[in-house]
Amino acid sequence: MRLLLNLLFIFIAALALGLGSAWYMIEEGSALTTSHVGPWSVWRSAGKPDADPYTKAHMARAGRLPITATSALYFFANSDEKGNTLSANCEYVVEGRPLNAAWWSLAIYDGTGRLIPNKAGRHAFNRTDVARRADGSFRIVLAQSARPGNWLPTAKQGSLKLVLRAYDLRDADSVLDKAAAERGLPTIRKIVCR
Amino acid sequence: MRTAIVSALGIIFLAALIHITAVLSLPYLAPKNAWARVSALSEANKMVVLPAASPSHQSLPLMASDVRYGVCRFNLDNGPVRLSTQILDDLWSIAFYTPRGENFYAINGRELKRSQIEIIISTRNEVGVKAGASLLDEIEDLVVVDSPVREGIAVIRAPLLGPSYAVQTEAALKRGACTRNLPGSDFNR
Repeated sequence: MRLLLNLLFIFIAALALGLGSAWYMIEEGSALTTSHVGPWSVWRSAGKPDADPYTKAHMARAGRLPITATSALYFFANSDEKGNTLSANCEYVVEGRPLNAAWWSLAIYDGTGRLIPNKAGRHAFNRTDVARRADGSFRIVLAQSARPGNWLPTAKQGSLKLVLRAYDLRDADSVLDKAAAERGLPTIRKIVCR
Repeated sequence: MRTAIVSALGIIFLAALIHITAVLSLPYLAPKNAWARVSALSEANKMVVLPAASPSHQSLPLMASDVRYGVCRFNLDNGPVRLSTQILDDLWSIAFYTPRGENFYAINGRELKRSQIEIIISTRNEVGVKAGASLLDEIEDLVVVDSPVREGIAVIRAPLLGPSYAVQTEAALKRGACTRNLPGSDFNR
């Protein structure tokens, strides 16, 4: 009886540990699969046929069809640069220089990945339609109500998710190099919260 | 004491086994992977222009609202499949996927250098080319893509240069086609 209980305990503990660790590494990534650059995280091998099993499992679960990481990268941000979760109750400024990509687009979704309804029908700014300063840099404001300049409308409540996609990225490897990337990727700064 | 150590080792060993099994089997088990979603959208060998992503509808998760997508779920069981499309801009791209979402080949407008493209998707060596894709010089505007799988997905991505480009971009994608290549018709255009 005691042996049976012991085995049962071993089995349940192993199941929890095994599935829990698998779930975490597939859902959130790990040093093996993802890079973090400021608030941005990126699956380094997304879409590659020779990607590791964690990346493949993540993409299967996500149901996305990313272009191979050799020519496009997808950066995700759920938090600002201080690490606080992006919230619809706050306003943010996203500032940066254009990526060295043939095309890039910065899109906003709610925490569940849905586009956010708004009268302006605005869900993203991209390389071609963002208003830039003379030196090429840009500034995008995330807020519930209209702002002058590049304004991305946010949800009434809940969390937010930013996706920065870069197509035909020149020297993808150097973007993943931490120091270069920190200069290259936009910053996400909180201005005010309600 | 001894039991505790044996138990701990047992847990770690079994957990590792479960972990590896879960990770390796997930791509085959995930019910809503991209293949399942695309299969629900269209029959095989047919070009489908996905409706623009909106707050109420996204055909695939985290679609870009400023990109238009043409999708062809190809099946090569009965021979090669021909994909034809306009390429309005250097930024357009065509990416080919296995049912597991592996992007085995991608090419963009800048590399294609033409505004109308015909692509023959065939299984390896069916039309006598080696792995990867090759441009057949003797037949202009024809690209042969060697598919490692008999079934897969081709995705044409058309980034919008601005909101006003949406209508013409969607129209151009809709003029594209994805058809079973009839025997003998491969190279006699």
